[in-house]
Order: sequence, then C-alpha cells, then structure tokens
Amino acid sequence: MSREITIIALKYNPSDETSKPRFAEYKLPETAGMTLYIALTKIKTTIDHDLSSDFVCRAGICGACGMIINGKPRLACKTLTSEFKDGKITLLPLPTFPLIKDLSVDTGSWMKNMNIRVNSWIVSTQKTDISKFEKKIEPKVAEDIFELDRCMECGLCVASCSTAIMKENFVGAVGLNRVVRFSIDPHDERNDADFYELIGDDDGIFGCMSLLACEDHCPKNLPLQTKIAYMRRKMVMV
Amino acid sequence: MLNADIIESITGKTTKKHKSRIPAKLDLLQSITGLILALFIVFHIIFESSILLGKETMYKLTMIFELEFIIEGGSPIFISILAFVIFIILIFHAFLAMRKFPNSYREYLRFRTHTKLMNHSDTNLWFIQISSGFMLFFLASIHLYIMMTQPQNIGPFASSDRIYSDVMWPMYLMLLVSVVLHAGVGIYRLIMKWGIFDGENPRKNRVKTKKIIQIVVVFYLIIGIFSLISYMKIGYDHRANYGEKYIPQMELKNEN
Amino acid sequence: MKIKYTDSLIIGGGLAGLRTAIATSAKGLSTIVISLVPVKRSHSSAAQGGMQSSLGNCIMGEGDNEDVHFADTVKGSDWGCDQEVVRMFVQTAPKAIRELASWGVPWNRIKKGDREVVINTKKTTITEKEEAHGLINARDFGGTKKWRTCYTADATGHTMLYAVTNEAMRLGVQIEDKKEAISLITKDGQCFGAIVRDLKKGGLTAYVAKGTLIATGGYGRIYKQSTNATICKGTGHAIVLNAGGYMGNMEAIQFHPTPIVPSGILLTEGCRGDGGVLRDKDGYRFMPDYEPEKKDLASRDVVSRRMLEHIKKGKGVMSPYGEHLWLDISILGRKHIEKNLRDVQDISKTFNGIDPADKDKKGWMPVLPMQHYSMGGIRVTPKGESVNIKGLFSCGESACWDMHGFNRLGGNSVSETVVAGMIVGDYFGDFCKKNNINIDTKMVEDELNKQDDYLNNLLKLDGDENIYDIKNEMRIIMQNFVGIFRNGKDLKIAVEKLKTLLQKSKNIKIKNKCRLLNPELEEAYKVPMMLKVALCVAKGARERTESRGAHHREDFLKRDDKNWLNRTISYWKNEDDLEPTLKYEKLDIMKMEMPPAFRGYGKKGNSIENPISQKRQNEVDKITKEHKGDRYELQEKLMPYELQEIYKEKNQRLGDENE
Ligand SMILES: Cc1cc2nc3c(=O)[nH]c(=O)nc-3n(C[C@H](O)[C@H](O)[C@H](O)COP(=O)(O)OP(=O)(O)OC[C@H]3O[C@@H](n4cnc5c(N)ncnc54)[C@H](O)[C@@H]3O)c2cc1C
Ligand code: HEM
Ligand code: HEM
Ligand code: SF4
Ligand code: F3S
Ligand code: FES
Repeated sequence: MSREITIIALKYNPSDETSKPRFAEYKLPETAGMTLYIALTKIKTTIDHDLSSDFVCRAGICGACGMIINGKPRLACKTLTSEFKDGKITLLPLPTFPLIKDLSVDTGSWMKNMNIRVNSWIVSTQKTDISKFEKKIEPKVAEDIFELDRCMECGLCVASCSTAIMKENFVGAVGLNRVVRFSIDPHDERNDADFYELIGDDDGIFGCMSLLACEDHCPKNLPLQTKIAYMRRKMVMV
Repeated sequence: MLNADIIESITGKTTKKHKSRIPAKLDLLQSITGLILALFIVFHIIFESSILLGKETMYKLTMIFELEFIIEGGSPIFISILAFVIFIILIFHAFLAMRKFPNSYREYLRFRTHTKLMNHSDTNLWFIQISSGFMLFFLASIHLYIMMTQPQNIGPFASSDRIYSDVMWPMYLMLLVSVVLHAGVGIYRLIMKWGIFDGENPRKNRVKTKKIIQIVVVFYLIIGIFSLISYMKIGYDHRANYGEKYIPQMELKNEN
Repeated sequence: MKIKYTDSLIIGGGLAGLRTAIATSAKGLSTIVISLVPVKRSHSSAAQGGMQSSLGNCIMGEGDNEDVHFADTVKGSDWGCDQEVVRMFVQTAPKAIRELASWGVPWNRIKKGDREVVINTKKTTITEKEEAHGLINARDFGGTKKWRTCYTADATGHTMLYAVTNEAMRLGVQIEDKKEAISLITKDGQCFGAIVRDLKKGGLTAYVAKGTLIATGGYGRIYKQSTNATICKGTGHAIVLNAGGYMGNMEAIQFHPTPIVPSGILLTEGCRGDGGVLRDKDGYRFMPDYEPEKKDLASRDVVSRRMLEHIKKGKGVMSPYGEHLWLDISILGRKHIEKNLRDVQDISKTFNGIDPADKDKKGWMPVLPMQHYSMGGIRVTPKGESVNIKGLFSCGESACWDMHGFNRLGGNSVSETVVAGMIVGDYFGDFCKKNNINIDTKMVEDELNKQDDYLNNLLKLDGDENIYDIKNEMRIIMQNFVGIFRNGKDLKIAVEKLKTLLQKSKNIKIKNKCRLLNPELEEAYKVPMMLKVALCVAKGARERTESRGAHHREDFLKRDDKNWLNRTISYWKNEDDLEPTLKYEKLDIMKMEMPPAFRGYGKKGNSIENPISQKRQNEVDKITKEHKGDRYELQEKLMPYELQEIYKEKNQRLGDENE
C-alpha cells in the first residue's frame, strides 16, 4: 500500500540577501518505484515551486544529482524512496562544492579546475593522420582504460572524503583516478616524472589518507583504492 | 639559504626544474616509521606478556634484552639505548603524522560534522587513529622516559611494583588500548594505502584483511589486559617488599 | 550593461558543440562554449550503444565501406535525407573515429582468434583476423548491413564526450557552464550573438560574436514519455524560431523500441545488437513474424510500430503502468552481460529490481517504445549555416543538416555530432574569420533590455493559470496525439489544443517574485518556447499526409514520393502568431545518387512512386554500367559533393590492396 513519506530538504539561496538557511519539510504519497528524482519533481511542480536541485539524465549516467541523503553522499536519481523504512529522508547539498541554491551545487567549476590541474587530456607529440589506420591497442589495455574512464565527475568521492572536506585544495579521488587513467593509456607520452609534477604533493597523491570513503561511495564502483595505491607506489619511486 | 627556496617560500612558485621529491619521501617515511613501531609493539606485547607464563620466563626474557648472553650479567644500558632509538622513531613518526591532523578548529569541526553525518567505517577508523595517536604522544613518551631513565627497574617485581604500588596501571591501561588500536588500524590502513594485498579481488581482500586485523587487535587487548592483571596481582602480593628485586630460580638453587 | 565579445560563440556543449569549438580554436579564434549544465553532463553522455563508422576492421564488418554506409543511411532515412550531406558524413566518419581514438576514447579493440557471439539467438563462433588484432572493434546495430557500430561497452557517448571535452580544454576553449541562451541578437537577417542568462546567479549578459553556432541537442521533453534528459527542451530551437529562423522536418520524431517501463530510461539497441530479443506476454519472440529478414534488428521506426501493433493484437503484458512487452537478454549469458551490457544491468537492477542476467522470465525487462530522437531541427545548408539567418550556424541533433531524413539509424547520431563538428566547425570557423562585423551597441542593448523587461513582466503577470499545468498538458497532448501512430483527426486536435496552451501561457501567475534564481520563472519563459517547438511538430505532422520513416499516418499509410518528397519548413512569421507558418523545400530526385526505392524492411510496395525515380534509376544504372575505374570515381560521377580536402581523403582499410 502506498504510504506517506516525508522529505526534509535544506533551503538556502546565497544570492538572495534575505534568504536564511533552513530545513523545509514536505509530505507526499509514495508511488511504486519512486526515486528521489520523481519525488523531488513532484514537490517542485506541486508543493514548492521554489525548490532547486540538479537533474539531467535521471538515469544515473550524467552525475548531476549528487546529494547527501540521510547522511550518505549518493545520486538522488538512483535512490529509491522505498529504501527508507521510516519514510523519512533528509537531503543536504553536497559539501566541498560551492552552493548555488538549496540542493544545487556548482560541481562544474570544481571539476574544471581539477581537469586543468591534472592536465586531464592525452599529451602527445605525434600527429595523427586520421585517414590512416588507428594505433593498435591491446584489447585488455583498452578495457582497463575504459574501466577508469567511466568516472562521471559526480563528485561523490570528493564529498565523501574527509580529507577534501578539511583541505580545500585536495585533488580528490576523481583527480587521482584521472591521472591513473592517462598513465596507462598508450596514446599518452607522459611518464611518471611528468605525472609527479601534477600530483606529487600533499594536495595531490600524498594528501590522500586512505579513508576509502571514495571507494565506498563511488556510484560507478571504480576501483579507487587500488588505483590510488598504484599511483602512490609509482610516485614514491619517481 | 638558497635563493630558490626564498623565491618558492614567498611566491609559491618553484624555480627548480622539478617538483620537490620531499613529500614523497615523507609519505613513505611516515609509513615506514609506523610499520617499525607497529612491528615493535607486536613483539613487545608478546614479550611483556611473558609474565603470564610466570616470573621466571619474564625475567629470562629481560636478561636477553640486557644482552646477558654476550655480557656477563647483562647491562640495562642496552634497554636504554633501545628505548632511545624507539623514542626517536616515535617522535619522527608523530611529527610526520601530525601533518595530517586537522590544523584549525574550523577544519576539525568540518571534519567531525562530516564524519558523524556520514558514519563511514573507514573514516571512523581514521578518527580512532588520530585520537589514539594524540594520546600516544603523551603516554608513550612517559613510558619511554621511564624505560630510558630506569632501565634497571625492569623485571617481575620491579615492573609489578611500578604498576601496582606506583599506581602506573591506569596509564598502562590507556597506553595499551591506544597503542593496540592505533597499531591495528595503522597496519590495516598501511595495507590499503599501498595496496599490499590487492590480489585477484581487492574488494574481497579488503574485507578479509579487516576481519583478520580485528581478531588480532582483540587478541592483543586480551593478553595485554591479562598481563596487566598479572602484574597487578604480583605487585599486590609484593607490596610489603616494594623495591626488592626479583631473584631468579637458578640463583636461588645455587644459594641452597 | 554586461557585454562579452568573442570570435565564435557556441551555444551547447554536447559532442557537437565541443567538437566545433575544437575546430574554431584550432583556427586561432577565441571561442566560448556555453551550456546549461557542466558540459560533461550534456545529453551526449547518455548515448550507450555506439558510433557508426565504416572501418570494416572486424570480421563481421569485412567489406564495409562508405558506399555501404551511405546506402544504409539513405534507406534508413526513407529517402528523406540530403544525399550529399550523407556522402560528406560517411566519408568523414572513419576519420572522426580515428581522431577520437587519438584523443583517448578507449574503443573496444579486436582480439584475434575465435570468439563466441550470439547472432539470431544462436551461439556462433567467429574468427578475427591476425592483422586486425588491436584495431577498433564494431558491433551489430539496427538497420545496418555490416557490423559497423564502434563502442566502449555501453558508455560510448560518455567516453566520447569526455575525450572531446578534454581536448577542448587542452586547446584552451572557454567553457562556461550553467549558462542559458534565451534569445539571439539579430538584425536584418544576420545574427550577432545571444543574450545569456547565468544560472548560478541569475543575471543577463549579451555575448557578441562574429558567428554563432547552436548545438543544443534534441527537444524530446515536449513529450510525456521520452528517453531524453530533462534538459532536452528545445530552447535552442525556440530562440531561432523567435528570431525568424527556419526549422526543417520538425515532425520527424524517432521513437525508440526499448526504453524501460515506467522510468523511460533507455536500454541500448546494443541489447538487441548483441543478440537480445523481444518477447510478448506468452514469451513468444514475435519480431521474425513481422520482419523475417532483419527480425529484432529492423530499423527503429519499424520495430517500434511492430511492437505497438503486436500490443494492439492483445499480446501486451499488463502492468500498473499500462501494457508493455519484454526485452530478453538473459540468453546472452551472465558473463557477456556483466562485461558488455553492465550499464543496462545496472539500470534494470536499480530502477526495476530485475537482474537481466537471471535465467528466463525472471530476467526479462519491461519495455515500450518512447520518444527518443529529433531528426528535425534548425534548417541549415550542407555547410551548416542557417538557410535564412546569416552568421547563424547549427550542428548536431539540434540541426536539420539532414542526413537522417525521416529516420535515423542507431549509432549515426553521435557519429553525426562529431563529424558535423569537424565539417561544419571548419566552415563556421572560416566564416568567423572572414566576417568582420560592425557592432551596433544600441542593437545589443535593445535586445538585452527587451529580454530583461520580458522577464520582469513575467513576474508581474497576474493571471490564473499555472505554468506547470500548462507544461504537463502539452506533454500529454504530444504523447497521445502526435505519437507513433498519427492521424489527421488527432493532429488537428493537437494543434488547436497547443495553440490554446500558448495563449494561456500569457496568462499565468508566478508565486515567487525573486528575479534571480527562481525555478518557477525559468519554467515561465521555457514553457512557451517548448510550446512553439511542439506546434511546429504537430502542425508539420498534420500537414504531411503520407507515412515516411518515423512519421506514420494511419490515414495515409504509404510513402508518397509523388507529393511528399520534400522537407517541411516551419517558422514564426510574426512574433505574436499562435502557430508556425509552413512551406516546403523540394528534394531533387535527378540529383540523387540513390533514387527512392524499397527500403529492404517494412512492407513492400508500400509507396506511391514518383515516375522520376525510375528515370533517375535508369540513368544511375547506365552510368554505373559504363563506368571504368574505381568506386570513388564512380561516386564522383553519380553525385559530386563538396567537402574539405582532408576529410575527402580515402580511408585506409584492411584488404585495401584488393580494391
Ligand atoms: C538515451 C539515449 C541514448 C542514445 N544512444 C545513442 C547511440 O548509442 N548512438 C548514437 O549515435 N546516438 C545515440 N543517441 C543520440 C545522441 O546521444 C544524441 O543525438 C547526441 O548526443 C546529441 O548531441 P548534441 O551535441 O547534438 O547535443 P547534446 O549532447 O544534447 O548537447 C546539448 C547541449 O546544449 C546545451 N543547451 C541546450 N539548450 C541550451 C540553451 N538554451 N543555452 C545554452 N546551452 C544549451 C546543453 O547544456 C548541452 O550542453 C542517444 C540518445 C539518447 C536519448
Ligand atoms: C624500548 C622501549 C620499551 C621498553 C624497554 C619497554 C618495556 C616495557 C616493560 C618492561 C613493560 C612492563 C611494565 C613496566 O615495567 O613498566 C612495558 C609495558 C608496556 N609497554 Fe613498553 N616498552 C618500550 C616501549 C614501548 C612503546 C614504544 C610502547 C607504545 C607506544 C609501549 C607500550 C607498552 C604497553 C601498552 C605496556 C603495558 C602492557 C600491558 O598492559 O600488558 N612500550 N613496556
Ligand atoms: C607519538 C605517538 C603517535 C602519534 C601522534 C601518531 C599519529 C599517527 C597518525 C595521525 C597517523 C595517521 C597518518 C595518516 O593517516 O596518514 C599515524 C599512522 C600510523 N601510525 Fe602512528 N602515531 C603515534 C605512534 C605510533 C605508534 C607507537 C605506532 C606503532 C604501534 C604507530 C603506528 C602507526 C602506523 C602503522 C600508521 C599508518 C602509517 C600510514 O598511514 O602511513 N604510531 N600515526
Ligand atoms: S570517481 Fe566515482 S565518485 Fe568520484 S567523481 Fe568519478 S564516478 Fe563520481
Ligand atoms: S576518501 Fe579521500 S583520503 Fe583518499 S582514499 Fe579516498 S581520497
Ligand atoms: S540525474 Fe544524471 S546521474 Fe542523476
């Protein structure tokens, strides 16, 4: 039978001087297979037209909808309301990212900085002739790269990492994973010493304290623990 | 002073060709010192629990550490030296690890609210680690100071007198709990940090590693507490003769 | 007043927009890309199945080349496409994929030796050649003769988008996210940039540029049920409509056969490509009955219609969300699913609690056709420039460049985005370089003030309508009356109802009066835009009295090459009109390399032939027969087309020597 659920969301509009942070409470009937995307859309269109949150793909693909859901950083569109036995769900915006409004945060700027900081692109001096055969790649290597390339910059690893919470400049698991991704790509000509220049400091790989919340909250199940460890081993040997 | 250093300290930009390799060394050293200390403790508690096997065993072990097998009668100075070496490593380790502490109240508050809200097991472990590390900074220093300055006062009776009659047992209890937790968590995190037992299925191995370490920690706490009780009992029985040294069985026999 | 200047302004940061940005910044032009969301979250990231390109590396793709890809695409389009554009496309696609590989897309690679695959639900062993080892692999996809769809598991769009964004960042393209274009700055049929709203702070800025390109993707969200992301609202189309620009073939809407019920999240065509099948309530595999040759893999429009047809026969599975059918991939085996269709498994598990790898019925996933792709869009020339506004370009899903006609093949779309980004991007860059504009600041200021006033006025409205209700109603009308099966009666109702809604949208009331970040205000200006787009679709569909590709009229079942071999152009004549004005652009059969004929699937003899088709066919046959020389020269004789030299170069393939 359908029950009533209660959603409590943080509301605050930093660009409005009169706005004060507060919790708003919404009650609504639960429907079969209801996700937080469905629930929040319902709230936004019927109860509170002023509630802001970010959803793009609503399918767990784009990484836009990270929130703190009953304390845990998760993707809202992939969270079923039925999971919460007492029917009470508290939503907070992701920490570590600048707040835009209510549940909407600016992950974009953070990720852009991260990408630029770790030079998140193929570095190569070779010019590709695109009408000729592509470079051959071992199938297994391509799969390994793909595995790490699945990261969708949702920022949950950052929002769950206490190091990132404390140290604003920490590059985060997302950044470290990205470096590993390029380091195993045969198209990329950078060597370990080059990568050291990007992450060889206490805001980079040596800032990670192996808290592993990243690994445990990554919605893509990326092997962050082993990859960070791998990079650490490489970086201390440079 | 190097000009390059001056420039870097003021502008934050290095004029050197490469980024400094020091952070890498420090990270590695932090782990190595931690590992040495942890291994030391692993053996230390075993040795020191020899009291559970009787006064004689503990005495013999002590003499081994005083290098009796080399020097006639042994000399406590070697314990002093060992304690000093360990002390240096400990300070160095603490100094390295301290970099990871929240370095302002604001940072601490952010960290605590976040961990409480999230309640993530490994992050909680880290909190145990820094709290116990913080305690160890004082407790281990006291203990080591005693070991350095009074190495002769180690033995079934001397130790027991210290623990019971000098009322050191509360300190030892705290030290025991902190160090076992700290070392246990430390080793687990060391394994994760460097990916030592990744194996075929790292996620499964992580669970396994955690389980094994939990068992070891409990084991160490138990034998530690029992030894402490044992010292207490000996100390209680011996309270009238406070300060009297233990005379080994062998010598007693000779005297007869 | 805030004004920002740049050489080239690109609205939309999906694959198309970013690839264009790479082209312009390679020419040394200052380039700004704006996007509603961080660009890596653009809808391109949702493309799962793959990208078509006739590399012909894998054994099942052997013998593939531009000609085969061309024929597939033209047939797929039901002859509604611009064949010259298709030629430009197929010639460049292999280059696009090779370029992407060098930018780091971890394309699935061929492993030499035996491999077990499922073809037609039967396990079959294929043997990859030694020399192909390590080259880019391909999978089977609907409507293609060869295995041509290159992929990275089922996150192809994601890896492509990341690679392209990374490359754009490397080149220093200025990417500004959380920015929305709400109108174009135009004067005397020329575009000078756009008015942009900051979605982080709420303010307006005028972006003035030598050239403006729109790559805002599709407009699926005008439908109740769609596989599209929530941001695919067609506002990019609407700002062009508001500036008087032409749309092409807006009624050409594709429905995908296998979104999962009820969430509408897409299960990739790769499911069927890899060997998955559709089943009805009895567990019966029904597609071979309808389409003996291509079976479950006939083109999307055909499969979607067959599914609904089958449901109408009472073979649908009843559920609280209406009837649906089953998609069965359990026959592929757990290992295959967990490796190659992991996202599908993830979606099905998360949103439906079904593990598709579970044996038999337990693993079947409920599916139903839903809106998926917009073939139509901003009508542009083969160079990508708007046919009636100078300095305005468009590419990607937002454009009607017109390589998809009335139906697009799976995997041809992400391919189009990057290929168009290369070709159109290059022309666009040249335009920006040449075009020295004289900025009339007054004009810029006027447009900025106009938009500012418009927003302020919206806040002041004091009617009794609710913008959310209007939006919801629109989406239901589109779903019910302008869906997969269309007819004159329904379409008439739809147009009238939509007009009423557009009228109503001027009589709303916004509760929250905040001018900056106010989601309700956002809806208030977006919904009328969406309504305009919806009206173009509905009216275009109402007028088109034939069935072609995805546009299926129950009252006109045949493809009518005699009267309807043309492109619908819709535009807003006067700002205050409640409906678009339509006109038509003829397709010239005598210029076609492949004159209209039978598609190879669907019902045979289901078209009203145009006598010129046969005439042209005879001509083509004659040229072909008399031709001496290679296939490239023949093609040149049949239908010459313009393309940048680097893109026109021959594509290297295995076994080239044999040609
Ligand atoms: C679920 C799904 C699966 C698909 N799978 C495949 C597949 O396997 N193979 C294939 O070939 N195709 C596939 N497609 C189609 C393909 O993904 C899209 O057609 C293609 O990615 C469109 O790319 P684009 O760059 O044109 O637009 P998009 O990627 O949609 O980008 C649009 C951009 O415009 C921005 N924007 C929109 N409006 C505005 C505005 N007003 N102001 C500023 N910015 C704006 C957005 O923020 C975004 O950055 C799939 C589509 C869907 C829905
Ligand atoms: C070389 C240096 C050390 C020596 C010689 C030494 C020796 C001893 C001795 C003899 C005891 C028995 C009690 C006593 O006599 O006071 C003891 C107990 C103890 N030591 Fe040490 N110790 C050393 C270093 C350390 C360090 C570095 C730690 C941890 C940080 C430590 C932790 C403990 C603990 C927890 C106990 C109590 C054990 C129990 O409860 O059973 N010791 N040590
Ligand atoms: C002065 C007392 C001590 C303090 C203040 C201290 C502090 C810390 C801290 C804060 C950490 C965490 C560092 C990080 O997460 O990166 C740490 C790690 C560690 N500590 Fe200690 N510690 C002390 C003594 C000890 C002792 C006595 C042992 C041995 C039993 C030990 C073993 C370890 C180990 C194995 C690690 C993990 C190393 C790593 O993560 O690299 N520490 N210590
Ligand atoms: S690593 Fe995982 S958690 Fe972090 S951003 Fe990428 S997908 Fe999200
Ligand atoms: S949670 Fe943070 S500290 Fe390291 S292991 Fe993950 S990045
Ligand atoms: S909305 Fe895209 S991941 Fe949730």
